[in-house]
Amino acid sequence: MSGSNSTLNMGTTQMAEQVLEQVINAGASGDLIIDEGEALSLKARDGELEEYKVSSSRIFGLRVIKDGHIGTAYSEAVDADALNSMVGQALDNARFVKVEPHENILPSSDHLKTDDELLCPQELVSVEQKIQMTLEIEGRLAAKDKVKNVPYNGVQDITSQRHIFSSAGLNAATRSRMCAAYAYALVEDGENNAMQGASQVSRHFHGLNASSVIDRTYEKCIGLLDGKPVPSKHYDVIFDKDCQVSVFGVFAMMFSGKAAKDGINPMREKTGSVIADSRLSIYDQPLNVDGFGYHLFDAEGTATKKSGLIVEGCLQTLIHNSATASYFDTETTGHASRGPRSTLGVSLHQVEIAKGSEDQTTLHSGEYLELTDLSGLHSGANAISGDFSFGASGYLCRDGERIQAVRGITVAGNFYEMLNKISMIGDQQHWDEGRSALMPGIRFADVAISG
Amino acid sequence: MLNNITAESVIDHALSLGADFAELFVEKNETNVVSTLSNEVQSVESGINFGIGLRLVYGTKVLYGYTNKTDQDELRRIASVLAAKDLRDPASRTMSFSFNQISDIHPASKILSVGAEIESKIAYLMAADSTARAAGEQISQTRGSCMQREQNIEIFNSEGLHTRDKRNYIRTSLTAIASEGGEQATGSWNDGGLLGWEIEAKINSEKTGEEAARQALVNLTAKPCPSGRMPVIIGNGFGGVIFHEACGHLLETTSVAKKASVFHDQMGELIASSIVNAVDDGTMVNEWGSINIDDEGLPTQRTQLIKDGQLTNFLVDRIGAQQTGFARSGSGRRESYKFAPASRMRNTFIEPGDDNIDDMIASIDKGIYASHMGGGSVQPGTGEFNFAVTEGYYIENGKIQYPVKAATLISTGPKVLKEISMIGQDFSLACGMCGSISGSVPTTVGQATLKVDDILVGGNA
Repeated sequence: MSGSNSTLNMGTTQMAEQVLEQVINAGASGDLIIDEGEALSLKARDGELEEYKVSSSRIFGLRVIKDGHIGTAYSEAVDADALNSMVGQALDNARFVKVEPHENILPSSDHLKTDDELLCPQELVSVEQKIQMTLEIEGRLAAKDKVKNVPYNGVQDITSQRHIFSSAGLNAATRSRMCAAYAYALVEDGENNAMQGASQVSRHFHGLNASSVIDRTYEKCIGLLDGKPVPSKHYDVIFDKDCQVSVFGVFAMMFSGKAAKDGINPMREKTGSVIADSRLSIYDQPLNVDGFGYHLFDAEGTATKKSGLIVEGCLQTLIHNSATASYFDTETTGHASRGPRSTLGVSLHQVEIAKGSEDQTTLHSGEYLELTDLSGLHSGANAISGDFSFGASGYLCRDGERIQAVRGITVAGNFYEMLNKISMIGDQQHWDEGRSALMPGIRFADVAISG
Repeated sequence: MLNNITAESVIDHALSLGADFAELFVEKNETNVVSTLSNEVQSVESGINFGIGLRLVYGTKVLYGYTNKTDQDELRRIASVLAAKDLRDPASRTMSFSFNQISDIHPASKILSVGAEIESKIAYLMAADSTARAAGEQISQTRGSCMQREQNIEIFNSEGLHTRDKRNYIRTSLTAIASEGGEQATGSWNDGGLLGWEIEAKINSEKTGEEAARQALVNLTAKPCPSGRMPVIIGNGFGGVIFHEACGHLLETTSVAKKASVFHDQMGELIASSIVNAVDDGTMVNEWGSINIDDEGLPTQRTQLIKDGQLTNFLVDRIGAQQTGFARSGSGRRESYKFAPASRMRNTFIEPGDDNIDDMIASIDKGIYASHMGGGSVQPGTGEFNFAVTEGYYIENGKIQYPVKAATLISTGPKVLKEISMIGQDFSLACGMCGSISGSVPTTVGQATLKVDDILVGGNA
């Protein structure tokens, strides 16, 4: 583990070239992902700073293809011995893996780079200002009526950088910054208690607003404090913007060309078929810079573009990398994903659901349940069958008014069937708190609620 | 992994900046994962994680930083950055390091640094795949994996502690997918432990394949689950996730100290049915959640959490001890050098009782037998939890009627602990990963089959 090594003084590009040269000399092709990051994370407790965390990290992840066999290996150590070992391991691992005729290193020698000013803006901000915001969020929330404490809170400033190099000459780089503030407060009133939270993200620290996090956290806690179950029956349901993004995220595998290739995507044979209400159109929109899912290129260096996934209820395409596209005899859709530690897969970048035609008054007319908190999202869902059963909290509403806070209920059904049970789609789109997806409110009919 | 001179220099520097306590956590781990899809090897992945975490404590404030670099200047720089807002005159001096050779109570032989044994793992997964496919023509797909990790840690602290440990983890799993008429259902089985690939002699590819396929085939015929409040029998082994989520997390000083646990002020009180005895034990030989020492260098121990329904102990790490006054329990754990340690569970279980499952089923008019549980989550502040049932059956008039799907159990920790009315004798353990404030760590859950008199069951019948 000695640090006295020649690679330590090399730049990222030089190290990558050296690694890929070894790959080529071994008669293989390959690509190398180098992820680097720096982060500051702050937490407060009882008016004092409780945690101050700084970090810097770097990891190399190599994929090699030799005689049709794929091997991967990674290393957080970057001395010459470690990188040599990584190349050796990747080549050795490839020996055991089946021949994959569809997976190749793309012949791209492009040099790509995202706009640092756009994705990674610099600003004059001191650590004191970040500490001040952390203390302000915890302190002002803790001082509010019925708040027992604010056990989880914090402010983060994270810069991430990714380089992708390939033996064909690809050199792609992206750098991005995310500032975040969050809080979870515990409120108590006699026998009743509730713990809820809110967060905010921005590319600038000055884009964060402590009051917004404080007010939304408090409003969620107080709103649900007296919550109780509603009678078991089928209700119209509107998920709030965060829950709705989460639910669609849990079942995102329905678009995966990789899962289809592996035989576990129930939508494999349904491209071109109507699978949802005709008013539903879902897109992947990686080039919307307002969201944190912005991607100029995917993990193979393929340029991204807007994709229609479901248009007017009809499944248009699955998402593909070059390997799944080759398997299905189609073109890559620019959805390759790969982390330094993982093999080539596919993933959505930034989902956008087209707005519908119902104004907010119509969308919220009559009786419905507004669900603002879901639990067990992953353990309670089966993306293969579409079945789900989640714990839920929210409000029983009538004509847009919250009539009763609701807790201790479950919401259950089949997501793929629910796509055909859409009652209305609102005419306004909203980002979720993490700015990962842009969706209008959707009212689902006839959803099973147990209380 | 880190030389003493560098460690001493960094810790001395941290104390010179006024820290009450300073600690270096050095980690190097190697991982190898073999994955199969049906009867083919899908991938073999391997890699090395390496880094150093530096923790400074000022009072109860924790300052934490980490890096992949080992040079003294970088580590001292991190210490200076961390301490920049808290500089004060030195409060203490580093004691000379005294190397503490731990006793390894979890022997392992076929470890990763000796050989990855990839051919043998592939043979095991292929055999499990064949067994699963032979269980029925509806089995359309299997996914298998075998993960092996060798984690080397080294800890130095300003109290003179210098110790090392090597942890060998192995875990195998198989998921089977059954398909018929457009319907798909899954079943899975996994094994694991704190040992090497010699686990092969203790596990059985046929059982792995049969169990995964059996569950998938049962679930393929499952009907929508009735919903509402009803008694529930929770199966042994991974059924213990209910205690892990509903109670275990609430007994970690990570939430107790913040008064974010409903149990924070109930030490010595009756918090469960008097038939409940619960333990968190890091010393169980070669179990998945076991350790020799925790990630603060303290030897692990067996901690009786609940005795005859009475709360007897919390799970306590260094900072938790400082904040609550309870003694450390060798429970300070972290996923990697990227996390400061926190109080975490190890092998957590409800001890067996005297009842049997037939009596439990016979005692139920309308209810659910959740024979296999999936994952879940809990909100420590309120104790609200949910669990997914991965294999369940509807009970009516004291008899099992039919399998059910998409069921979720909802309640609160304090309530469900008091609703446990029968505990069986068929005790077993199961391994899983637990995510919390200090990352994802291996934990074991366990129990005998038990009956809870009243839980909200979510279903879509």
